[in-house]
Amino acid sequence: MDRSAEISWRPPRACDNYWSEFRHCKSLWNHFHHYYTYGTSPSCQQWQEDYNNCREWEKHRDTEAKEALQRSERNRVAEQKKFTPVWKLRQDPPRDWHLPLNQEKPQDS
Amino acid sequence: MDQTKQEGEYGYDLFPERQARKYKKGSIAESLFTFNHKCQVMLQFAMETSPYAKLLLSAMTSSGCKALRDRHFSCEDCDGTVSGGFDAASSQIVLCQNNIHQQSHMNRVVTHELIHAFDHCRAHVDWFNNLRHLACSEIRAANLSGDCSFSNEVARLNFGLKQHHQECVRGRALRSILAVRKISREEAEKIVNEVFDTCFNDHTPFGRIPHSKKDAKFAYRDYENRDRYYANL
Repeated sequence: MDRSAEISWRPPRACDNYWSEFRHCKSLWNHFHHYYTYGTSPSCQQWQEDYNNCREWEKHRDTEAKEALQRSERNRVAEQKKFTPVWKLRQDPPRDWHLPLNQEKPQDS
Repeated sequence: MDQTKQEGEYGYDLFPERQARKYKKGSIAESLFTFNHKCQVMLQFAMETSPYAKLLLSAMTSSGCKALRDRHFSCEDCDGTVSGGFDAASSQIVLCQNNIHQQSHMNRVVTHELIHAFDHCRAHVDWFNNLRHLACSEIRAANLSGDCSFSNEVARLNFGLKQHHQECVRGRALRSILAVRKISREEAEKIVNEVFDTCFNDHTPFGRIPHSKKDAKFAYRDYENRDRYYANL
């Protein structure tokens, strides 16, 4: 099971995506938007490192590069989840979403 | 529930056509005396071409709430200067045909309201009784829809640069709450402050704050590749 996972692993994003994200991050517009939002300059180094690791993996199947890339992406996901949501997530969509209009609907729970 | 109480308390008085349409839907009077047709055309264009809208529509479909133009969107005349709203009771996005005259404005309003619809779809949002939920969705919508872009703020004569985006988001969330609930400004400010950090940093489904079409396109690209992304983490 592990072996097939090893063989079929590929970087979470296409290498070109890392490069385009890096270029976009470095752009003047992005600097402006980042300052406008956070009051600081963006840090783009990670995208470049990820691109390099991605290419290393493509060329030489370098395990260290793969692990570094995975670490970096897991970090990104963790950053997005740092907060506690104010609401409870649903298991199913609202029951009345697809009901036609002009029908008596129960108050959404 | 007492109808007049509900209208006043929950902001339905801004959307008089939610209770009774002035002209019959599809009538000649409607097409002659309202901007209904223009609104429909702009809405269609927004849904097909705006990367913000396309991403939200995909995300909603994945969450089990496919949004259909005929069922979930309604172009109506509204009071005052309000541009749109989300009616959780009927699961409809209301677009104010008398107040939206440019495609860019339509794109922004559709994005803003789709964020509310998306929140409604993926979470138990208590729109009517929980002001923190309402505030959170308004913060997210102001943050992620482009409402608070530099150019939009300058057009409103709000000149600010360093971290102005956050100020704008706070202000607009506050205004949105005050428009639909009868509470004091201080109370509303307190609620917005309580939930601001959490909700400002919740970028679902974009994964980033889309400041420009390019940001939104990148976000859409990431969204389309999410299966590969999560499979290889």
